[in-house]
Amino acid sequence: MSGSVLRILADPGSISCESLTYTYPGAAEPALSGVALEVMAGEYVGVVGPNGGGKSTLLRLLNGLLSADSGKIRVAGRDPDTEPFEVRRRVGMLFQNPENGLVAPFVEDDVAFGLENLGVLREEMRARVREAIRAVGLAGYEQREPHTLSGGEKQRVALAGLLALEPEILLLDEPTSMLDAAGRREVLDRTRRLRGEKTILHVTHHLGELLDADRVLVMNGGRIVADVAPGRLISDADLLAENRLVLPPLARLAAGLGLGSSKLRTPEDLARAIGEKIRRRAGTR
Amino acid sequence: MRLELRDIRHVYSPGTPFELEALRGVSLAAEPGEVLGIVGGTGSGKSTLIQHMNLLLEPASGNVLVDGVDAATLKKSELRRKVGLVFQFPEAALFAPTVAEDVAFAPRRLSLDEDEIEDRVRDSLSLVRAEHLRERSPFALSGGEQRRVAIAGVLAMGPEVLVLDEPASGLDPAAREDLLRLIRTLKQTGASVVLVSHDTDEVAEVADRICVLERGEVRAIGTPSKVLYENLEFAPATVQTVAALGESDQSIGRPVRFEETLRTLRSLVEG
Repeated sequence: MSGSVLRILADPGSISCESLTYTYPGAAEPALSGVALEVMAGEYVGVVGPNGGGKSTLLRLLNGLLSADSGKIRVAGRDPDTEPFEVRRRVGMLFQNPENGLVAPFVEDDVAFGLENLGVLREEMRARVREAIRAVGLAGYEQREPHTLSGGEKQRVALAGLLALEPEILLLDEPTSMLDAAGRREVLDRTRRLRGEKTILHVTHHLGELLDADRVLVMNGGRIVADVAPGRLISDADLLAENRLVLPPLARLAAGLGLGSSKLRTPEDLARAIGEKIRRRAGTR
Repeated sequence: MRLELRDIRHVYSPGTPFELEALRGVSLAAEPGEVLGIVGGTGSGKSTLIQHMNLLLEPASGNVLVDGVDAATLKKSELRRKVGLVFQFPEAALFAPTVAEDVAFAPRRLSLDEDEIEDRVRDSLSLVRAEHLRERSPFALSGGEQRRVAIAGVLAMGPEVLVLDEPASGLDPAAREDLLRLIRTLKQTGASVVLVSHDTDEVAEVADRICVLERGEVRAIGTPSKVLYENLEFAPATVQTVAALGESDQSIGRPVRFEETLRTLRSLVEG
């Protein structure tokens, strides 16, 4: 097969786009225009920006759910437009609503569902399912019925289903937006552990979830308007305002009190910092 | 209008091995002109509860009262006009070629004349600040715009109680602000709003009272400061911060909304 050598050489975890443009049928404005992007294998990249900015469209082009009007796109070394199935084997996508992805009566069947369609041998399948369930911290849940689980647990089952397919790339499309605080922490804890092992693109409205990302892309009006380190993004008030981004309440509170925000991540951290500030003031009187 | 739920019990699949008691005697009321926030984890019974508010589900025991009248004796169509339910991701039900036609769909079934329908479409779109979208296709709108148009469709029925299930889920921060503003506006018109959300920041910002549901029972109900400070796992991180400070300084008080919290802490830090 010609081209096979190049394919092996192509980094399986990388993403590369040039001048990517897409307009939804009937829409007046393009949803993406001229997007260029390079993501290296193992990078953790956040994607933020207003609704309609192009975040979800970009993810849908990357796994071949939509096909670009023009431009070049390579995911895991392949073109998702011409080889959507090859690409989707290497790219796992986690959606907002954990209810939508769950299909089987028991957790382990659900996690095995994608593998059953790939013709993986039974023994290997078992091993992969076991490992995936362990990787999301749900060992012991194999025989549970998905509808009895909490939102955070359901979303972790969905993540295990993706991991069983051993993708090189994970596309996370607001995976915590429907979860309560505890569920959100559970899911983020699991995705963080995959850092470095998988290439991760994480779309979210919560900047607080991206403080550990390698970099954050800000998308607005169908373009990538900034590509910055998370620490720089949260301290750039103009960039935040231009793109209708808001800091998490705790960071806003810290900033409003004149305390540096990037290291104060929990209520306890912030309370301690405020306590110190009060004591210092009392001491100088 | 006052909507009261009195000792509501709900059992799914009764008499089968899958029997599940989702509500175990829930009593609460939404007073006219108030925003009642309902919080609780997965499986607490939030979604089951709101479906009792217009009798989409019928309780195994207990009553729903509308201004003191048993809702079971009212015509279903009348009850559902008075109590508007907006489910999660309501934009999934948008279907008409234009926004105006979509919003007009439900009032048209009330056999109103065309002028009245037009008034309602205009008023509801204006409440959600979407007048400018009326001739657009709902499918060409952004997620936040679609959400507002879908809510306008329920407002056009003229509800006196509006029940919103996770209305800001998936919206960007600016669209979420718009939605909180809409809730405050609705309240000013005298309607009651029941806001179900997993986002405690959101509930703390607009609720007049908060109800915490847990395993099908009311664990707490009352003013936001009382309920949140006494059930900290359901409180926003900002409230948790104040509570952590308050352990050593009782004089801080119990601020709940963001601006109020910031003001309180500022005066503490700056003296």
